Amino acid sequence: MVRHTKWLRRWSLVATGAAVALSLAACGSDSSDDSSSGGGGGSKTLVVENSFDLTTADPGQVYEITGGMIAHAMYEPLLGFDGGDLSTPVPVIAKSYELSEDGKTLTLPLRDDVTFSDGTKLTSADVVFSFNRVKNLKGNPSFLLDGVTPSAPDENTVVLTSDKANPGLPYILSNPALGIENSKVVKEHGGTDAADADTTDKAGEWLNANSAGSGPYVLKSFSTTSEVSLEANGDYWGDAPTYSKVVVRNVTADVQKLDVQKGQAQLVLDLAPAQAEGLPSSVEVHSDPTSNTFFLFSNDNPAISETTSNQDFQDALRYGLDYDSLVELAGEGSVRSPGIIPTLFVGALDPSDALATDVDKAKASLAASGYDGEKVELEYPSDLTKNGVSFGTVAQRIQAQLKEIGIDVELVPSPIATSLPNYRDGKEQLGLWLWGADYPDPSDYLAFLPGQTVGLRAGWAAGADPALEALGEQAATTVDNDARGQLYQQIQQQMNVEGPFMPLFQTAQVAVTTSSLSGFEYNPVWTVDFASLK
Amino acid sequence: MATSATTAPAAPTGGRRITDHVLLWFVLRRLAALLMLLVGITLIAFLLTHLVPGDPVAANLSQQAVSDPEIVQAFKEKNGLDKPLPVQYVKYLEGLTHGDLGLSQQTQKPVTEDLGEFVPATIELAVTAIVISVLVGVPLGILAAIRRNTWLDQVLRVVTLSGVSVPTFWLALVSYYVLFFKLGLVPGGGRLDPGVDPPAHHTGFYTLDALLDGDPGLFGEALRHLLLPALVLAMFTISLLTRFTRASMLEVLNNDYVRTARAKGMPERVVVFRHVVRPALLPILTVFGVAFGSLLSGTVLVEKIFSWPGIGQYAYNSALALDLPSIMGVCLVVAVIYVGINFAVDIAYGLVDPRIRAT
Repeated sequence: MVRHTKWLRRWSLVATGAAVALSLAACGSDSSDDSSSGGGGGSKTLVVENSFDLTTADPGQVYEITGGMIAHAMYEPLLGFDGGDLSTPVPVIAKSYELSEDGKTLTLPLRDDVTFSDGTKLTSADVVFSFNRVKNLKGNPSFLLDGVTPSAPDENTVVLTSDKANPGLPYILSNPALGIENSKVVKEHGGTDAADADTTDKAGEWLNANSAGSGPYVLKSFSTTSEVSLEANGDYWGDAPTYSKVVVRNVTADVQKLDVQKGQAQLVLDLAPAQAEGLPSSVEVHSDPTSNTFFLFSNDNPAISETTSNQDFQDALRYGLDYDSLVELAGEGSVRSPGIIPTLFVGALDPSDALATDVDKAKASLAASGYDGEKVELEYPSDLTKNGVSFGTVAQRIQAQLKEIGIDVELVPSPIATSLPNYRDGKEQLGLWLWGADYPDPSDYLAFLPGQTVGLRAGWAAGADPALEALGEQAATTVDNDARGQLYQQIQQQMNVEGPFMPLFQTAQVAVTTSSLSGFEYNPVWTVDFASLK
Repeated sequence: MATSATTAPAAPTGGRRITDHVLLWFVLRRLAALLMLLVGITLIAFLLTHLVPGDPVAANLSQQAVSDPEIVQAFKEKNGLDKPLPVQYVKYLEGLTHGDLGLSQQTQKPVTEDLGEFVPATIELAVTAIVISVLVGVPLGILAAIRRNTWLDQVLRVVTLSGVSVPTFWLALVSYYVLFFKLGLVPGGGRLDPGVDPPAHHTGFYTLDALLDGDPGLFGEALRHLLLPALVLAMFTISLLTRFTRASMLEVLNNDYVRTARAKGMPERVVVFRHVVRPALLPILTVFGVAFGSLLSGTVLVEKIFSWPGIGQYAYNSALALDLPSIMGVCLVVAVIYVGINFAVDIAYGLVDPRIRAT
C-alpha cells in the first residue's frame, strides 16, 4: 500500500527518536541528592514537608497548624513549654510569672537582653502592642485574650489583668499567635493596635513577606500554597540554631513518604499511622498523642430527637461502643481519651477511669429507653481527615458497633462546609466531631458543659445539670493547680456517667525524620521547634 | 468599529482590502461573542459558588471565633459577605472592569496578585506539555497513518489507548515513585530544589527568567524539574493527538485526488506532505484546543503530586476554604485561557480556510 521509501524510514526514525530523546531528557540529567541535606559548617538547610494548613504569617491572625509552626520560629512568646511537656509553662521572654490569688492579675517581669531581628530592644510596650493588636484585629486568635487587658508599669514588666479569674492564662501565652512583634516596625508598615484595627490595620500583607520578631528565624519567602522559607536570624539574642535555613514545603502525604526515605526532606509531618508502618530503618518514626479528641454526641434536645435525648439511650451508646477497637482504628500512637480533657493536660483523668465497654449494660439501657428500632442519623464531615484518621471510617465502625447492640444508625456524611453549620446550630441527632485544644489548659474544655459552646451544639442547655455547671464555674476560677486539676477530674468523672458526650480517642501525630536529624520533639501547641533540631 | 467604517469605502478598489475587511469583521464578531461569553461565565460561576450549601464563615473561622458575633461580623464586612447577593455581584463586576478580582479570604491578598504568582507556574507546565504533545503526537499520528496496519501502527494504537485511559493522578504517582524514588533519575517535587532561590521575576516562567538572568545552571535545574510533570501531563494529549492525526490522515489518504497524484507518479514525499498533511491538520487544530483545555484540568492533580505551585493547587485550597473571590478568580482565568485558545483556533481556521470567515 504505502511505498517504503528511504525518506519515510529516515523520517520515522527522527520522530521516534524525538520521543525517546524527550523522555530521556526528563530522566537523564543527574539529580543533586545532597542539595537538601546541605553542606557542613555555616550553611545547613532543613527541609520540612507538611500538607499546608496555612493562611497567614501575621502573628496577630495566625491560627492554623502550619502557620503556628512557622510563626513560632519567628516570634517568641512570653512563656512556652519545655519540649513536649505541657504540664508547666516555662519562661521565654518573661523571666518568671506570678498569678495573683484571685487569679485576675498575672505579672511578668521581662528579660532585658532580648532584641528583635533589626536589633531593637524588646520592651513591655511591644508586648502591650502585640496583645492589643491580636485582640482588636478580631481574627481567629482574638478570643485567646478575651477579657484580658495588658499594661506596662515599666519598661521591663508586663501586667495582664483579666475580668474574671483566669488561671489558664500562663498556658495560653505559649500560643504562636501571642508571639511578640516589634511594634515600631509593624507600625511603620501600617500596623495598629487601636480598637478599630480590624478595618485600619494594614500590616498583614507586609508581615506575609517579612517578619518582625525576636525569634531564631526570620521570614524569607512565603506562599500559602507552595513553600515558606526562613533564614536564621543573624542577631538572635539566644543560641544560634543549627540550621541556617529552613524550607517548609506543601507536599501530599504519599509523596512525603517517598521524599523522607530519599532524603529529599529531613522531616515530614503528615503520614497516617498506617503509612508509617514498615518504613526502613534509615528513617525514624515518632508517634505521639495529640490534643485532638474525636468524640460522639447524642443530642440532648428532645426537639431534635426524642430518641437521642433519652438518657437511657445515651447510656446505651456510652456502654455499647467498643473504645479499644476505635483506638486501634486511629492507629499506632493514638490513645483512648479517658475523659474529654486530653491525657497531656493538667486535670486529665487517669486511663483507669475511662469508661469500660459493657454490652449487657448497654442492651439493658437500650431496652429501658423504649427504643423501638427507628433509624438515628449520625452526621459527620466526610471530607475531613485528622492525623490520617478519616471521619468516614470511624463513623462506619461506630455504625457497626451500635448495630450489634440493636441501634440502627444511618450515616449522613457531608462536606465540612455544609456539616459544620448544622453542627454549630445544634441540629444533629448524633454527631461525630473533633475538638482540637485551642490552648493546652483544661479550661478550654469548659465549652463542653451545659449551656456552653459545644454543650449547646449537643443540645445540652444551661440548667441541664446545675451541679456540674457549678463545678465548672469553680474549676474556672480556682488558681491552685492541684486543686483545679482535681476539680476538672471530678467534672469528667461526672460526664462519664451522664450527659450527651462520649470521648473516643486522641489521634496520633506521626512525624518521620531522617537519621541525620536529631532533637525532634512534638509539641501540640506549635508542632515543631525548628531551632531545637540538630 | 470606527476603523472598519472608515476603511469600508476604500475597500472595493482592491481585492486584498476586501479580504482584510472581512477578516477584521470576523475577528471583531468573535471578540464580541467572547466578551459576552466571559460575562456569562462570571454570572454562572458567581451563582454556583454562592449556591453551594456551605458557609465561608464556618470554613474560615475557628470554632471559638465563630462563637463571637463581633468577629463573625468583622469577617463578613471585610469580605463583603454582609451585602445582598445581587449587590455583591454588581460590586464584583464593577471591580472587574478595573482589574480588581477582590481580596482572597485565605491569603488576605488581592486575588490578582495571587493569580500573578500561580498562573505562570501552570502556564509554563501546560505550554511545555503541549509542545511535547505536538512534537511527539502529530508525527506519531502521521507515521501511524502512512504505515497503517503495520506492527508500528499496532504498537502505537495500544500505547495511545493506554495513554488516554490511564488516570493522570496514578501516572503521576507511579512515575514519581519509579523515576525519582527508585531510580533517582529526576529531581523531587517543586519547581526548583529545596532551598534554591528562584530567578528574578520577569515572566514568572522559571526557565525563561533564568535565561534572562543569564544563569544557565538555574535554567537547567528549572528544566529538570519541569520535564517529568510536563511529560506526565502530556501523556494524555500525546495520545489524543496521535489518534486524531492518524484518523484525520486516513480520511484524506482515501481521497480520489491522492490516488490520482500517486497514479501520476508523484513522489510519495510530495503526496504526503503537499496533498495529505496540510488538509489533515485542519481538524487537528480543534483537537489542539480541546487538548489544551484537558491539560488545564489535569494539572490540578499533577500539581498536587509534584508540589507544583500552580493554579491547580490554589484552586484546591480555595475550594476547601470556600474562598469565593479566589474560586471566582480561578474560574475566570481558566475561562479566559480556554476561550482564548478557542478564539485563536477559530482565527487560525479562518486564516487557513477562507470559506470559514463568511460563516
